[in-house]
Amino acid sequence: MGFVDYILANPAEFLKLIRQHLVLVGVAGAFTIAIGLPLGVTLTRPRFQRVAESVVGVVNIGQSVPSLAVVGLAMGLLGLGFRPAAFALFLYGLLPVVRNTMTGILEVPAAVIEAARGMGMTAAQVLLRIELPLAMRVILAGIRVSLVVNVGTAALAFLIGGGGLGDLIFTGIALMDTPLVLAGAVPTAILAVVLDALMGLVERVAAPAV
Amino acid sequence: MKGRWLLFAMLAAVLVLAGCGGGTEKPAGEPAPQKVVTVGSKEFTEQLILAKVTQLVLEDAGFKVNDKCGLGGTMICRNALLNGGIDVYWEYTGTCLLVQLKHEKPITDPQECYRVVKEEDLQKNNLVWLGMAPFNNTYVLMMRKPDAERLGVKSLSDLAAYVNEHPNEVRFATDAEFFARPDGYPALEKLYGFKFPPDKVIKLDPGLVYKALSEKQVDVAMGFATDARIKALNLVSLEDDKQFFPVYNPAPVVRKPVMEKYPELADLLNPVAAKLTTEAMIALNYAVDVDHKTPDQAAREWLTAEGLTR
Repeated sequence: MGFVDYILANPAEFLKLIRQHLVLVGVAGAFTIAIGLPLGVTLTRPRFQRVAESVVGVVNIGQSVPSLAVVGLAMGLLGLGFRPAAFALFLYGLLPVVRNTMTGILEVPAAVIEAARGMGMTAAQVLLRIELPLAMRVILAGIRVSLVVNVGTAALAFLIGGGGLGDLIFTGIALMDTPLVLAGAVPTAILAVVLDALMGLVERVAAPAV
Repeated sequence: MKGRWLLFAMLAAVLVLAGCGGGTEKPAGEPAPQKVVTVGSKEFTEQLILAKVTQLVLEDAGFKVNDKCGLGGTMICRNALLNGGIDVYWEYTGTCLLVQLKHEKPITDPQECYRVVKEEDLQKNNLVWLGMAPFNNTYVLMMRKPDAERLGVKSLSDLAAYVNEHPNEVRFATDAEFFARPDGYPALEKLYGFKFPPDKVIKLDPGLVYKALSEKQVDVAMGFATDARIKALNLVSLEDDKQFFPVYNPAPVVRKPVMEKYPELADLLNPVAAKLTTEAMIALNYAVDVDHKTPDQAAREWLTAEGLTR
């Protein structure tokens, strides 16, 4: 277990990299939710449904271009370091949030919405009290996928000076130092699993099974 | 409805194209070429060009060449060579001496360094070093030219003095390998007696350091002496006044069993290496990195101009 030795020998460096990694995923995730969720909701409104697919197509670019290229393109726009890395992760995580928000809301049975309107609810009330609560499980699943995938993708942030656990992975690859690669890769995997479990918990609390 | 058909057509086209990518095999009727060599390289421009040059020369002489270019780095190439994954790649004398043969002391005389590496690698590892190229692709530290002139920094000693006077100011970009290599950054800062502030050291992909420096994302960056972007982006390499950096002349390194099978490799590749002067290598790198030719195009044009291929 050479990689554990490495971590124990350099605790300060290791914690710094973990912190950088988590801040990257956290900041990118916050922006993804803050922008992806309203965007998804907006695209389900009747007025915007016609352009919905085109907008999702644009959002899709973040996902369909290889993640390494997204990171490289972000550097062209924002320079080096934290900001372009966070921006690339934000783009990369956007699609699952937007797509799941739309799917969740569009799958709410029309009859339920009809009934709510019949009771005299306004459009805003229908959205906040009927559509969003019923779509919550699907929306949260999208956020969960977005965050967990980005824990792994954040390792690429290293290539544009964004730091994070990719530092250990890429240094290890350059020096053919397997323990060093594992010292970066294993904690990255553990972070992803822990974050997935936490999001599972959030799902259960925020959207209990009906 | 029309849209959906278009989509299907596009999807089908993509799949067909993807399928074509893999189909490089020769038609069944042709006799299979007998002589097969696998050429590897590291992942940066110069290495890709050297591998292409090798490939073209060998193909010209009737070899079938398997292309394993762009492997992850020094140690990956080296391991691939040792375990037979590749048959030949271009290694630099200084890198082999310090990283692979784990000598403590760098040798700054090119011929002497080559002699030691050639002898020891054959004895210990069954690897044959062919003729070395005259160019020396050593590491350099670079600054933007106007800045270096304004601050009066010409050498690494000047830089060390400046960094020590302004301990929290200078931003430094490096790739992961140079930062961690025993003959790289750790030894450099020890010899010259300075240290970049740890939070101002930015580690990133080696291909991006030149751009990062010229766009003022950092103030000092590590680079490679033969990289054409130093000139193209108006950067300057600082003089290594204490002779810290070892010499890094490249030569094709071949597995001994392959060398025994195809002894003509030496006669094919030695004349090529001899023509790779510093100017020639910078020009080749320039063609790819600045003029955006492919390594294949650049290699082909150079070989034809030098009369090394038919």
